[in-house]
Amino acid sequence: MASEHKSRERDVESGPSLRQRIRRSRWTGFAVNVTPSAFWLFVFFLVPLGVMFYYSFGQRGAFGEVLVAPKYLGLQQYRLFFVPEDASVFQAIWWTVAWLLEAIVPTNLQFAAGEPTPYVQLTLKSIGYGLLATLVSFAVGYPVAYYVGRIAPEEYQDLLLVLIILPFWASFLVRIYAIQILLSGNSVLTNALGFLPFYEAGQSLMNSQFAVMVGLVYIWIPFMILPVYASIEEIDFTLQEAAMDLGANKLQAFRKVIFPLSMPGVVAGSLLVFIPSTGAYVIPDLLGGTNSQMIGNFIAAQFGAAGNWPLGAAGSFTLMGIMLLAIALYQKYGSADIA
Amino acid sequence: MSTGSRNRSPFARLRSRIFEWGGTLLAVEAALVYLFLYLPIVVLIALSFNDSRYALVWQGFTTEWYEALLAGETVARVNPSAAFSALVHSVEIALVTVVASVVFGTMLAFALDRYDFPGKGLFTGIVYMPIIIPSIVMGISLLLFFNIVGMSLGLHTAAIGHIAFDISFVTIVVLARLQRFDRTLEEAAKDLGANELETFRYVTLPMLKPGIVAGALLAFAMSFDDFVVTFFIIGNQNTLPIFFFSMVRQGITPGVNVVAALIIVVTMGVVGIAQWFEGPIW
Repeated sequence: MASEHKSRERDVESGPSLRQRIRRSRWTGFAVNVTPSAFWLFVFFLVPLGVMFYYSFGQRGAFGEVLVAPKYLGLQQYRLFFVPEDASVFQAIWWTVAWLLEAIVPTNLQFAAGEPTPYVQLTLKSIGYGLLATLVSFAVGYPVAYYVGRIAPEEYQDLLLVLIILPFWASFLVRIYAIQILLSGNSVLTNALGFLPFYEAGQSLMNSQFAVMVGLVYIWIPFMILPVYASIEEIDFTLQEAAMDLGANKLQAFRKVIFPLSMPGVVAGSLLVFIPSTGAYVIPDLLGGTNSQMIGNFIAAQFGAAGNWPLGAAGSFTLMGIMLLAIALYQKYGSADIA
Repeated sequence: MSTGSRNRSPFARLRSRIFEWGGTLLAVEAALVYLFLYLPIVVLIALSFNDSRYALVWQGFTTEWYEALLAGETVARVNPSAAFSALVHSVEIALVTVVASVVFGTMLAFALDRYDFPGKGLFTGIVYMPIIIPSIVMGISLLLFFNIVGMSLGLHTAAIGHIAFDISFVTIVVLARLQRFDRTLEEAAKDLGANELETFRYVTLPMLKPGIVAGALLAFAMSFDDFVVTFFIIGNQNTLPIFFFSMVRQGITPGVNVVAALIIVVTMGVVGIAQWFEGPIW
């Protein structure tokens, strides 16, 4: 297209007028095509984010009003968020690491003199929820993707895929409500689970961390299965035969050949599950109790009942930071394109 | 295999047994996941026919709740006319959003497909961002923005926000189609005497149509289903998800079950039919 335009321009002897030149310029089409979206995304996406970023440096006034005049600006919200009172930045980092260690190592050791702020604890808990939801989705979803992509009869593959995508199109809130019904006391499911040890039939499973996890996995597992399926679908399975001809058993062939080849799908799926799970707001709100709220609920509360907009904005940008970190890791270790 | 297995350890024998049944085990696991995906939906629809005002336990079949709601009666605080006006709002917002985001998004996809420009990587990143950032951040930042510029909140601000994230969805879907598109067909059309407009009308557009339809459907679903962004920027208006959210907050009732069952059946029916005609979407 471009070369054609140039040659036509050269044919014109007297030289085109400015209007004609603009009309024929290769970049006119670009400008026309890009302007509406660029304008929209700039005004209604980037500028609002910028406003929020600016607010995160503000202060809350004595009556809950927001002070964002230049003289009030500073890192106080981030300090409040990350650094406990009377602690230094170094102490805050050490307390946070120690707190994580205490949570992971099954001992009663106290590693540090203090705890990280409740906000940091909440943030780390949300990341934990996101990671666990990702892990469960992977553990449960990978075999399904493998089954659909490799073992299921060819003629049913499309149908099986559609059946995985279909719930994604049904309303998000309605599906959360459906989970709520199932996990409530005296529901079909809670009554049927009576055979489990330590569980009394009919007992409600709602308003718990378990309920939040079920909700997260239920909503996001298709986003794990689909990319993994896409990866498995592309694998040349004669490689498996080759590995087995060379003496590998089925498990080794899978672990050393097939699984690594499906990694791009696993990494993409993990990102697609981790990001929305960590930033979840509705699921913990509807399924979780006071104990299982996540950072999304904290942000909403700061902009609502708690009424500390600058702190909420700082929380939002902390959450954004986690997402960007996840994406950066993905771009470093995963394949180049997202979604 | 069978001759060698005699002098192997019980563990190795068990392992090879598992491999023998590996396909079946995977099928069972897959079936359980499908059950997990559909059981809540099935139970929800079944309970909407349950002849009981409070209990989650099956008490017998009735269409009483459907009849009452369709007749305009309020069932357990679910007011059908409020639900209907919320539905109308949702559809209005979604239609405006789809038209704007399909036009803008398709144009943007063209620009990204056919031009290289400095900063393209960064720009593409910004285009993807509305999909990736948490909806709560997007909703609240828009709320702050509308507050500052002094725009009154309502259906129009909701549509503005929906267009902002739907442009991204449409762009990605159409761009995927454009990148698989054989550009020599356009050159052939021009060699045969078509001008730019004719080439677009008779060659490019028909080839892009499935991508545009898929993008529009996705955009509609995303707008129609969005709760979080809408919740913050719609002021005191209602859409169906917001209406539904306030109902769910009040607990499980037959009225909510009926509304939920209707939403599920209609959306899945529409998408099922669309997939039937267009093949798997997205």
